Amino acid sequence: MTMIKMIVKELWHRKVNFLLAILAVMTAVTFFVAFSTAARGSERETARLMLSMGYNLHIVAKEADVGTFLMTGIADQTMPQAHLDTLASQREISYNHLLATLERKIEWRGMEVLLTGLAPEVCPPGSKKPAMVVEIEPGTAYLGHHIASVLDIHKGDTIVVSGKELKVERCLQEAGGLEDVRLQCCLSDAQAILDLPGQISEIQAVDCLCYLEGGDPVEILRRQIGAFLPETQVVQVKAIASARAKQRQMIRKIFRVMLPFVVIACGVWIGVLAITNVRDRQQEIGLLRALGYGSGSIILLFVGKALLVGLSGAIAGFFLGTLLGLEFGPDIFKITAQTVLRPERSLLVYACVLAPLFAMVASFIPTMIGAAYDPATTLREE
Amino acid sequence: MLVLRQLTKAYQTRAGQVKALDDVSLEIDKGEFVVVCGPSGSGKTTLLMTIAAMLRPTRGVVRFDETDVYAMTVRERARFRAENVGFVFQMFHLVPYLSVLDNVLLARGAAGRNGRRDRALELLEQLGLKLRVAHKPAELSAGERQRAAIARAMLNRPKLILADEPTGNLDPDNAQSVLKYLQAFQRDGGTVVAATHGPAARQFASRTVYLRDGALDETNGPA
Repeated sequence: MTMIKMIVKELWHRKVNFLLAILAVMTAVTFFVAFSTAARGSERETARLMLSMGYNLHIVAKEADVGTFLMTGIADQTMPQAHLDTLASQREISYNHLLATLERKIEWRGMEVLLTGLAPEVCPPGSKKPAMVVEIEPGTAYLGHHIASVLDIHKGDTIVVSGKELKVERCLQEAGGLEDVRLQCCLSDAQAILDLPGQISEIQAVDCLCYLEGGDPVEILRRQIGAFLPETQVVQVKAIASARAKQRQMIRKIFRVMLPFVVIACGVWIGVLAITNVRDRQQEIGLLRALGYGSGSIILLFVGKALLVGLSGAIAGFFLGTLLGLEFGPDIFKITAQTVLRPERSLLVYACVLAPLFAMVASFIPTMIGAAYDPATTLREE
Repeated sequence: MLVLRQLTKAYQTRAGQVKALDDVSLEIDKGEFVVVCGPSGSGKTTLLMTIAAMLRPTRGVVRFDETDVYAMTVRERARFRAENVGFVFQMFHLVPYLSVLDNVLLARGAAGRNGRRDRALELLEQLGLKLRVAHKPAELSAGERQRAAIARAMLNRPKLILADEPTGNLDPDNAQSVLKYLQAFQRDGGTVVAATHGPAARQFASRTVYLRDGALDETNGPA
């Protein structure tokens, strides 16, 4: 008669106790998996939307007129290019893409064009996300459709802007907006043309978030960025980005408040069931002790049971949680693209490791009580 | 084989100190069938638990084959019980979710002995339970349950069987049957100490001792 055989037979004998304990673990795991599945989908949805709508955060010089910036999209003051490195090196700030630009309206060959210098995009170390903007080689230019057609410029032509020679790498397709009058080159070329060495007009960011605090995300970012870049101001252009960021904070709050509540409630539930089980088995424990089984064997009986309960609850909870996450996640987190929601297999691994541990911890005190039963006392209770 | 010297077991209660055993001294030789008689609450069960190395006496010594059992560590005492002592209880104490065979084999695990399945089946056959090996305790009569408990007690070929009211829940026929099995164990060289408050066991005893209020009754007879 091995202990494992005893555990399995006891589980089968006390099916209701076993099923109720599984239900407790399953509830906790289901909650965790359902929200994690939906939350991860929401994160992917946010990233998808951010990328499709362009950069959501603009950092401009403190002296820049925000009204002008909002109307024209051009900051009227510049700031040091070194701000980009300062921003990228902050550990409290999360970002996916940072882009420094220098933009000015200039008169060129009898027409008003928007000169835009682009620095190479900065991504977090180790990021595999593709760049949002094509890197422009020094000495080359991308021309907007209107400029190219009015001035009859073609790919491969060489143009001269304020004494700087640039080879036209691409003439862009008609966009029906500001892009059509834009002359893009690399940042250093633009700085040379405008005679603004080491200056940029703005830093654009995607998915720029603060790790540390709750509250209004833009306000937090303004405060955080203001602490290390006091000569700048932050402009959030798209309201949806803020809404998405708030949604992320909501997810964090749910996990911070609800998850501990659910885990504690389920832990107490398992603990009560374990106490009931230990009390029901007092005489069995007494008998085993009388037969010479040590307290280690008694602990193994209950810990083994908790392990099986945890594992069963984890597997059942993962599948139920995934199902609920896929079904109700889009409503809770306003996810529009079904493709971003998918079963998260890594959660199964987490669940199978954490749930048995959780069940064992919840059963710990009852198990110790069981191991400490005095056989002489329990066997006398006829 | 078994020497009890001045055993005293006292419990502290709200009403004051209660002596469950009071200066009990007794020697039991190998091959004896000793019946401990006495009314309920006289200390019979406490005496058996103390002999079984499960209840440390407040005072006194229990020697088993010259070894002071309470000088052993907890682990050593558990090992000692598994190898030397078999138990039979009034309430049988069979594990409800295990078959009769598994209940008997439960004694094997504690003693760390494998390959006892054949002996378990042989014992169950001797005790008339051959057709009941796969049954659960709830499917057995009281007499069958006690016989299964006796098989469990005998599995490891213990030197001593301690029986606490082994016939307390049995009808006279089953009681006689159980006592006969215990007597057969004794005749094979084992030692039996059975606690009972009824008279049925005395006819099987090689010796009867009486307990009253935790002390041996030197008058050597029922009150």
